[in-house]
Amino acid sequence: MVAENVSLLAVFPDLEPAADAIDKLRGMGLSDEQMNIISGVPVTEAMLGRPNQWTNVPRLALGGAIGGFLIGIFLILTPLIYFVPVGGQPVIPGPPSVVVLFEMTMLGMLISTFVGVFLDSGFPSYRPMEYVPEISDGKFAVFFYCPEEAQDKFTKAMTALGAEKVEVAEAKQL
Amino acid sequence: MKPLVDLNEVGAKGALAEEAEGKWGMVIDQDLCTGCQACVAACAMENNIAFVGEEDAGYGRSLQWMRIERFWEGEYPEVKMTPFQPTLCQQCGSAPCEPVCPVFASVHSPAEDLNLQVYNRCVGTRYCANNCPYQVRTFNWRDYDRPEPLNNQLNPDVTVRRRGIMEKCTFCIQRIHRAEDAAKAAGREVADGEFAPACAQACPADAIVFGRLDDPESKVNQLKKQQRGVQLLEELGTQPRVTYFTGE
Amino acid sequence: MTATAQHMDHSHNETMSHEEHLREQHLMLDPKPRGEMNAMAMEAMHHTTWKFWVAVIILGAIVLVGLFWSWGYMIVEGLGVAGVNRPVYWGMFLVNTVFWIGISHAGTFISAILRVFKAEFRRPFTRAAELMTTFGLIQAGFSIFMHMGRVWLSYWMVPYPSQRQLWPNFHSPLMWDLLAITTYLLASTMYLFLPLIPDLAMARDRSTGWRKNVYKVLALGFRGTEGEWTHLRNAMNIFAFAIIPVMFSVHTIVSWDFAAATRPGWNSTIFGPYFVVGALHSGMGAVIMVLAIVRATMKNMKYFIRPEHFDAIGKLMLIISMTWAYFFFNDYMVQWYGGDKWTHELLHFHEAGPLGWMWFAMLIVNVAVPWAVLWNKKWRSNPWVVFVVGLLINFGMYLERYIIVPISLTINRQPFTWNMYKPGIEIPLSIGTLAFFILLYMIASKLIPLIPVWEVEEGQMAHKISKFGRETVVTVSELE
Repeated sequence: MVAENVSLLAVFPDLEPAADAIDKLRGMGLSDEQMNIISGVPVTEAMLGRPNQWTNVPRLALGGAIGGFLIGIFLILTPLIYFVPVGGQPVIPGPPSVVVLFEMTMLGMLISTFVGVFLDSGFPSYRPMEYVPEISDGKFAVFFYCPEEAQDKFTKAMTALGAEKVEVAEAKQL
Repeated sequence: MKPLVDLNEVGAKGALAEEAEGKWGMVIDQDLCTGCQACVAACAMENNIAFVGEEDAGYGRSLQWMRIERFWEGEYPEVKMTPFQPTLCQQCGSAPCEPVCPVFASVHSPAEDLNLQVYNRCVGTRYCANNCPYQVRTFNWRDYDRPEPLNNQLNPDVTVRRRGIMEKCTFCIQRIHRAEDAAKAAGREVADGEFAPACAQACPADAIVFGRLDDPESKVNQLKKQQRGVQLLEELGTQPRVTYFTGE
Repeated sequence: MTATAQHMDHSHNETMSHEEHLREQHLMLDPKPRGEMNAMAMEAMHHTTWKFWVAVIILGAIVLVGLFWSWGYMIVEGLGVAGVNRPVYWGMFLVNTVFWIGISHAGTFISAILRVFKAEFRRPFTRAAELMTTFGLIQAGFSIFMHMGRVWLSYWMVPYPSQRQLWPNFHSPLMWDLLAITTYLLASTMYLFLPLIPDLAMARDRSTGWRKNVYKVLALGFRGTEGEWTHLRNAMNIFAFAIIPVMFSVHTIVSWDFAAATRPGWNSTIFGPYFVVGALHSGMGAVIMVLAIVRATMKNMKYFIRPEHFDAIGKLMLIISMTWAYFFFNDYMVQWYGGDKWTHELLHFHEAGPLGWMWFAMLIVNVAVPWAVLWNKKWRSNPWVVFVVGLLINFGMYLERYIIVPISLTINRQPFTWNMYKPGIEIPLSIGTLAFFILLYMIASKLIPLIPVWEVEEGQMAHKISKFGRETVVTVSELE
């Protein structure tokens, strides 16, 4: 086997050092796809100088809204399947239809948004993953792949920028 | 524009307000009514209405489908009685009780043009009762006993309702069906006056007249054409099938 | 070293700099290391005293007897054991339903509307409020099933393809209710869960034993990668914006149960917004009560929930009280002026009938008390003053719904049928739902972290004290 990649995890105490580390890693030849940031508080990609993350959630939400709307239309048209007359109102009444359509559209949109988070993030995932518990204590972890021979070089670079620890990222049970 | 559902096809002409002419109707002459409550008793016998007991009746839970309302004018001792008012389900053409039932237990009958209460569909939300402006709907608050030998009096043509179900006057639809079946078997139309609901049959003063409103020859139609007929709460637009001669 | 915040002595106000004063007042300006805040939240969750268990046992007993046993008894015996009759076909069950849905609106208001408007003070208590929404809706659901005559057939209201080809009647406001409340319950539970995921991950990292297993499963394997945060925050944004019209629609649809009916006093076009504002009114009162109790009884909460929060919610309560008064007067004035005979009978019955005291009490506690108390910043910032005001407001709003449902139903266009309403088994059942709400809340507070610590940290990152000319000011950066 030629140059094998090893995955390293560098834990930084604050946002600035983590952003510096990203710049440094980019300078050392890593591409953006080879890096990831794991943090305990959401930071925008712009703060870290990273490209924007793609998410499918809005499109899934829109799809769900349309799906909900169609189900609402079906429910409104059920009197045509089996006609039961109720005095005074047309067979397909106007205002009640609006109410049903609205609720089903919103329900469809919100359920699909929720499910979209699961699908996009791969939830639930209980297999072993690279992680350190310090992250939920507010640390910023930079997780990157580098060639194995250069491991020491990268480790020194991260420590120089203020990493609290740099370790080989093992996938372990969360 | 062609309507989504052709009412003629589904036999529901007259079911919706714009076309509601009415088929079966009633005229009640308050001048003749003596307040004897024979109609109330007959209705209870015919329709297997349970007796709720003194306490529940005093609390407004009487199950009687028909009631005789009594009012008076003036202060004692100059009290003047006003005409008795028999109040029963008006079988409205545009019934407020129908759209509000979530499970379609209160619906309009396409064939008889009456307001139906479907006992085995009712889940007991009681919205229909709240929405009835005449307050003629009653609810089975409990399962009521019929100790021996009262159970022998039950009418086999009518269901016995259990707790949690709304009920109301049906214009004795079981009698309507019986007469219609007999007439159909004999190959003729139901004659006017051939049958009557229990209340009309029992009234000793003949204050209640029942028949086909869409038949110009029927007695009820003749009476209805007279100028002195009024309808209860007419301004609400419920299109009731019962006309009152108030006797004033 | 304890994790509780040090309480500064106010008598040395002059010696405290403006900056220190700001830090003491505002949670957002008083950051602690995240690890410490995590420990505080976890400790609040784990720590229980004997008083907690006594309360749980008592509440559990009330729930078993008052709620479940009484309900079973009522199902077997029929609604005759309740107080409903002709013409008051709807009684306390409907009052409870409207009341609990009202309480549930507070959660959405705080976690959605305040988030959309970027009101930073919401950060520590969004989850506490959202829990109220979910648990309140459960009680509302119970109450509405209770009032049904044949509740075992209630599934017929669900639109499903049945062998009889019968579908439910969408003309009926009760069906709109079903759709709206289901949508709202699912939406608010999902909206409760999404921001909870990172805190469950934190709890997973800091727990052992059975708790760790539970949190591991519920946290879904969340780590905090860029992708996960992006999807989560995107979804939370969509939810925040979308759940607001759902919230408005739910209570409007509930109000249409009454407004769509033909009864005098009910057939009022203003019921939609009137009920929504009423819901916010009672809901905010309930939120303040819950926050006051949480702050007093749970460890470390005095750091997270500060007088500034009561002050802010108190201001909202005052504005909502004024809005409620506006809608109430609108409804009343138009009915009074209109001259309809039956409506006048009804108004007279409200004010001068046997239960007229309710009408006056409602106006005093819903309007006079908040207006008299909540204008004062010092009083607003005192948790117990606003607790009492919130309690009175909830009492007043319960009276308002009691007036709208059983009292208004007594008067109709058929005077021969007029009858008073005397609640029967509704009383233990109502107390049972209240006890169940409190019980669920207490148990939840020990199973999940009540404070969304990551949101607090996010807010603290965005707040700074800086100088504007000679003045020391608070600046908030827009980090999104």
